[in-house]
Amino acid sequence: MAGKGKIVSGYIAPHPPHLVYGENPPQNIPRSTGGWEVLRWAYDNCRAKIKAQKPDVILIHTPHWMTLVGHHITRVPRLKGLSVDPIFPHLFRYNFDTAIDCEMADAIYDEAIGEGLTARKMTNPNFRLDYGTIVTAHMLNPDWDIPIVSLSANNSPYYFSLGVGIEEMFKLGRATRRAIEKSGRRAVLAASNTLSHFHFDREPDPSLPEDMSKEHVFSHTNYLWDMRVLQLMREGRMDELLKVLPEFIDATSAEVKSGGLFWMLAAMDFPTIPAKVHGYWSVIATGNAVVEWDLSDAAGNGHQEMRAHA
Amino acid sequence: MPDGQIVGGYIVPGLPHLVLPRDSTSRAELRNAFRTAGANARAARPDVLVIFSTQWISVLGHLVQTRPNPKGVHVDENWYDLGDLPYDFRTDLELARRTIELSNAAGLQVRPVDYEGFPVDTGMLVTLDFFDPKHELPVVGMSCNIYAGRDEELKLGKAVGDAVRALGRRAAVIACTGLSGHWFTKDIKDNEDRIVGDVDDAENRRMLDLIAQGKCATAMDAAPDYARKTGADMQFKAFYWLLGALGSETAKGKVLAYGPIWGSGAAVVEFAV
Ligand SMILES: [Fe+2]
Repeated sequence: MAGKGKIVSGYIAPHPPHLVYGENPPQNIPRSTGGWEVLRWAYDNCRAKIKAQKPDVILIHTPHWMTLVGHHITRVPRLKGLSVDPIFPHLFRYNFDTAIDCEMADAIYDEAIGEGLTARKMTNPNFRLDYGTIVTAHMLNPDWDIPIVSLSANNSPYYFSLGVGIEEMFKLGRATRRAIEKSGRRAVLAASNTLSHFHFDREPDPSLPEDMSKEHVFSHTNYLWDMRVLQLMREGRMDELLKVLPEFIDATSAEVKSGGLFWMLAAMDFPTIPAKVHGYWSVIATGNAVVEWDLSDAAGNGHQEMRAHA
Repeated sequence: MPDGQIVGGYIVPGLPHLVLPRDSTSRAELRNAFRTAGANARAARPDVLVIFSTQWISVLGHLVQTRPNPKGVHVDENWYDLGDLPYDFRTDLELARRTIELSNAAGLQVRPVDYEGFPVDTGMLVTLDFFDPKHELPVVGMSCNIYAGRDEELKLGKAVGDAVRALGRRAAVIACTGLSGHWFTKDIKDNEDRIVGDVDDAENRRMLDLIAQGKCATAMDAAPDYARKTGADMQFKAFYWLLGALGSETAKGKVLAYGPIWGSGAAVVEFAV
């Protein structure tokens, strides 16, 4: 591929299977009467734009492929199968079929090794993609006509400490950025993450999961936390955001602990442009937002000055 | 209807290194002990294997497999390079449903799962590989709820025991769980495997000693501290479930083997019933 590659945009792209369930795409077997529209419309706002940006690949970091030994990267040309959500099987039984950008996967692997990280290429063609990858990929691009690469969540933030985990993700982010540049790809990044992550311990009504009269955030405290971090993103206050994220994770059990957001921010070189929050709502009480950093030339953000950052 | 009974109780490890690749000779002691446990269990002529696996994680209560004939190919998300685990087994639906009923009556949130393609976990398949290599026995499989504590797991285990007796089954009950949960975070060769921490090793041995002496109530009391020190697999809660199913706090567990799998602790333990 000619020229230097670049990241055209990065998204916080949460993956509750409820969003696919609410949409009723043909790939998903269960049927609903809708639900969680505000989040689904938020994704809707991004779909056409992503298409227009003509990315070569969507890179997804997913917390539901948790790996013990290093960072794993999908590296088979095509993955296909039926993915049934282990927690919400009544909502999500999805027939997936996607191309994987193997050259991109190789490049990320090489750069990750260059950063001193432990990494592995996932080369088993029978591998079943996790629902985090699938929901995020579907919500960003339901046509599945852009190859993806899925990156696992190494469990270092849980096994060692959040600090160790963040360091790893910063390295993986830098590695990803270099890999994209060298490969000549136009890449969209997706951190497949929920924000505040306390949830109901039972479904309010399992026979009608999309009953929105039962849906609400877990607590006002969690809501305020979500708004605080989203406001920092909207104002491009990156240093403050990075500073507050550990406290946020601690207070709300935020799923961003699993690393995707740190990875994406590092790959984007910690942008100080305002992020666009397309929508926020709860899913079974967890806080979810679709957030976009548009780094494309069209947005005037294509040449954001690179900042020296750890 | 004949009187139902638990004909055997087991703790077994569930990592795929014991069965993949098929010709592997690594971790021979654990493999051989696992095979012995499986043979002993079959010799007790069970009608059904009831398996609680820590690798089947649930969040909203517990889940019980109620697909009549789960079938497919499982690929472990960490150890996919070791090979695939094809499966094709039958569920004892009556026992599964009765277990759910009795669990719900005991105040637990336990739900059936009957879906094509629902992920069957590695621990269940490793266990079946040793306990039922010819796919002859029906199975009841259940999940490990990440939030459940001692009381809930004891109740769930008791519901299994009660259902077994109510239906006149002969059942082997199997807790598929690791011991200490710290592991190597870098690549190792099979011959480099050892329990990664001295504390882990000492605490594993202490726990197994208590179990071997039949001091299971003491072992249960010690389990939270043991789990904290060793990062034990799902807080070792599978042990509570097993004792609930066995209906005894004094059952003696014979340790058939103890050793490392990728740095974590693993044991095959057989309980006299
Ligand atoms: Fe999640």
